[in-house]
Amino acid sequence: MEQPKPAEKVVCRGLWKVFGPQPNRTIDLLKEGQTKAEVLAETGHVVAVRDVSFSVMEGETFVVMGLSGSGKSTLLRCLPRLIDPTRGQVLIDGQDIAHLDAKALREVRRHKMSMVFQHFGLFPHRKLIDNVAYGLEVQGVGKKERHARAREVLELVNLGGWENHYPGQLSGGMQQRVGLARALAVDPEILLFDEPFSALDPLIRREMQDELISLQNQMHKTLIFITHDFAEAIKLGDRIAIMKGGSLVQVGTPEEVVMNPADEYVREFTQDAPRGKVLTARAIMQPAAPGFTGQGEPAPVTTPLEQLLALVIDREEAVPVVDEQGELVGVIHRRDVLAALQSNGQR
Amino acid sequence: MSNMNPAAEPSTSRETSPGGGKARRTLYILIAAAILFIVIAIAARNAIGPFPEAWNIHLDDAIDEAQSWVIGNRNTHPVFRYFFDPISDFIDSLLRGVEGALIAAPWPAVILAIFFIAFKLSGRKVAYLATVGLLLMGVFDLWDESMQTIALMAVSVVIALAFGIPIGILSARSDRLQAILRPFLDAMQTLPAFVYLIPVVLLFGIARVPSVVATVIYALPPAIRLTDMGIRQVPADITEAADAYGSTEWQKLIKVQLPLAMPAILVGVNQTIMMALGIVVIAALIGAPGLGLVVYEALRRQHVGQALQAGIAIVLIAIVFDRISVGFSRESEASLRNLKPLTGEEMAVRRRNNVIYWVGAAVTLGLVWVAHRTLVDMSDFPAMLQFSIAKPVDASVRWMRDNLYQIGDLPIGTGPFSDFITIWLLNPLRGLLTDWLPWPVVIAGFALLAYLTSGWKLALFTAASLFFLGLMGLWEMSMDTLSQVLVAVFISVLIGIPLGVLAARSDRFEALLRPVLDFLQTIPTFVYLVPVIMLFNVGRVPGIMASVLYAIPPVIRLTNLGIRRVETEIIEAAEAFGSTPRQMLFKVQLPLAMPSIMMGVNQTMMMVLAMVVIAGLVGGGALGLEAVTGLAKSQVGRGMQAGLAIVILAIILDRITQGWAKQQRVG
Ligand SMILES: Nc1ncnc2c1ncn2[C@@H]1O[C@H](COP(=O)(O)OP(=O)(O)O)[C@@H](O)[C@H]1O
Ligand SMILES: [Mg+2]
Repeated sequence: MEQPKPAEKVVCRGLWKVFGPQPNRTIDLLKEGQTKAEVLAETGHVVAVRDVSFSVMEGETFVVMGLSGSGKSTLLRCLPRLIDPTRGQVLIDGQDIAHLDAKALREVRRHKMSMVFQHFGLFPHRKLIDNVAYGLEVQGVGKKERHARAREVLELVNLGGWENHYPGQLSGGMQQRVGLARALAVDPEILLFDEPFSALDPLIRREMQDELISLQNQMHKTLIFITHDFAEAIKLGDRIAIMKGGSLVQVGTPEEVVMNPADEYVREFTQDAPRGKVLTARAIMQPAAPGFTGQGEPAPVTTPLEQLLALVIDREEAVPVVDEQGELVGVIHRRDVLAALQSNGQR
Repeated sequence: MSNMNPAAEPSTSRETSPGGGKARRTLYILIAAAILFIVIAIAARNAIGPFPEAWNIHLDDAIDEAQSWVIGNRNTHPVFRYFFDPISDFIDSLLRGVEGALIAAPWPAVILAIFFIAFKLSGRKVAYLATVGLLLMGVFDLWDESMQTIALMAVSVVIALAFGIPIGILSARSDRLQAILRPFLDAMQTLPAFVYLIPVVLLFGIARVPSVVATVIYALPPAIRLTDMGIRQVPADITEAADAYGSTEWQKLIKVQLPLAMPAILVGVNQTIMMALGIVVIAALIGAPGLGLVVYEALRRQHVGQALQAGIAIVLIAIVFDRISVGFSRESEASLRNLKPLTGEEMAVRRRNNVIYWVGAAVTLGLVWVAHRTLVDMSDFPAMLQFSIAKPVDASVRWMRDNLYQIGDLPIGTGPFSDFITIWLLNPLRGLLTDWLPWPVVIAGFALLAYLTSGWKLALFTAASLFFLGLMGLWEMSMDTLSQVLVAVFISVLIGIPLGVLAARSDRFEALLRPVLDFLQTIPTFVYLVPVIMLFNVGRVPGIMASVLYAIPPVIRLTNLGIRRVETEIIEAAEAFGSTPRQMLFKVQLPLAMPSIMMGVNQTMMMVLAMVVIAGLVGGGALGLEAVTGLAKSQVGRGMQAGLAIVILAIILDRITQGWAKQQRVG
């Protein structure tokens, strides 16, 4: 039986955000061909998000990656309308949030989506338990119930027993666990992350990434995750959107991006990507010659490059590649593997 | 042989020190202008004469007429019957309630109540200080007057906060509102306290209600400003988090913004209290009861001892309420900073202890009350315990006047000192401004100064408003006051900058100086008159000495701060090149500290202006006396005119020194 097609959970269409007193005029100028720099110099308007469109499927982890100042935070904040977009549409479950009144918008923020912040955004005057319970508190959930839920979520992020502490007494990693717990406590359908791990030490960062992955394997929520770290994007993302100067330059799976960087900007990032982990047999296989039957153990199309390397290392003949049904779909020679490992994106 | 290109030298020096070059240019222009003026002045002196009487616009008469109208219509006109009267009645009954309660309550109960509050909010030391202070008020037979002053202050502060905090919240939420309020708040903080008294007399008459109204308005700005600032200082990501989780605006305010803004708001409360206290005492001029009135009457009758007692009581109230409210705001800040993880039980214990404390306090007060009703009447402080220092003080004042006026046959003592300042500073400057320079030259001179420091807009404003002083018929008086203000500022700067330099170079000296400056800044303006009148009798010089005492802290503080803020790396660089301490001071530290010092000078100048009226009380004459006389004799027109003239001088001097300070910063 066919699996039901996953629904589009979040859709952005032609989204613009221009900071300044006359944003709409600025967009028209840009459409007439002026550059961003010219607009900034002449009118002082900052074009933060520029005609961005994408859609995120239910249960997907969608990563937006780009250098600092490329408009990622602004884009993310347009989703719950913490920032009002200048133009374009944001659809959550097919509903255009631009038309929501203040009350309906609050309902979306309370139940549909919650957010984790780069600098944690914790309330310093509230105990951890009251930080985590905040979302429930503003919904009007009773104290006993919301504290029970908050305790549960604190356990989930390994902070059981810290309920009565205050954020200021915690390390950065622990604070961000609280941030995560606060987001999870309201059981949202969509989680928004604005560079949540950027402020953390590398070791802690890796630990938090692993934890997020394992949590997501249980929760299957829709995650939209901002980062400026390409390795993080590859590690977490089902799909990656690469942002530059307010525009999306490429959207695709990590593999697609590494194999076919859209331009020099993207190629720069892919240089240091762990190719052995990202690339799979599918990406580097060659069409099988007619009549090729193949010898030895075939490799599934999803085999990562580093495992293929072990397969081809003392094998002169090509390795057959098969899809999920066991059908032959291509072959891989040792030189393909070596070339893929070596070529820094230049093909 | 020299390789130096002669043309290159000046240009490089200008490049390396653009500020110095500009300042020097300004100085040359100033000197040239001064010489020019003197030449013109000599030529024009006889031709022009004094500001023409015929041009007087008789503003005072117009104001008096308005007042007669107000008096005539106060009982009938709807604006009074349905607007001012209800306000007035409300304030009056509130004030009478509080005052009556404080005076009727047994005095030990009042002392204990303040002890309990101070103990909880600010600790043991402040609580003891408050107790001793209040006892002393009883001992001096000033209990009722002290309670009146405290009641007046408390009611004004409560009303000011009831308006100020909500306005501050609104202003934090709207950049528009903030922009609209800012010029008003700035102006309100430039105006000397007594200026608020005059218009309220026009609308509310004299005595307590207008005093409260003036106090509320005067004390409003810090409450608004610090609430606004506290809320705006909450980091954006924290308020954003509150939004992101779907808080309503109200929830965000109550659960996030206000708790985090609380320390700033409480600093605002402290400042509101101190400002209220400052004006409540001056409100004696319009008949407000309390300690201020005692000082005022005693000074008028030359009962220095009595004035000193009341002055001490005022200072004690100021210090006690300052400490209590500062303690409160520190407590709130510290509790935000070191939040302790307490379990539910520990919280419960703490809450229980609090309840026990307050219940205990209430029971104690109740027992005192019962004892008061059944055993001994404690409504009045027992005469047995009373003691007056008035006589010995009066005696020692007499002794000082006889013996310190001139010590032996030497040319030292307060008399020669007074004479020196009068003959060498005050008289020449007043002569220059009133007799020697024709008025158009003075106006042109100040306009030029305004132009050089801040541009033609201020120059126009300066010229127009100085001319207006003449139109009110107050030219001579204004110039007299101006000369006194300038001399007081000059002396403050002459003493203050060296003290600031010393404080910057020695931590020990700074530590010694700090409590003295704190103390000077806690004392309400009025009280400064008492010691100077003890030493100098009456006249212009005691007024100036009081102004210097009151106004000197900012210039000392900001000189110290400016020098200490010079970056260590710059100091090290100067040391590495082998500067002597003297070279370091004059070539590096003072120039870099200049913007800060200028700010200090500006603040000092504003504080001297705030003292003009006070100085008028001890023989400073001129505008100060005019304002006081107007108020005392209910000639509102006269008082208001003089007040307006002081405000004009304040604004001009403020803008000019600020412009100058800004130039220092930019250059
Ligand atoms: N409130 C604002 N007003 C004006 N410019 C802004 C504002 N917020 C962000 N910007 C500008 O928009 C651009 C994108 O910012 P941001 O979305 O924070 O980028 P990123 O999160 O990718 O670092 C930057 O040039 C930034 O300076
Ligand atoms: Mg960002």
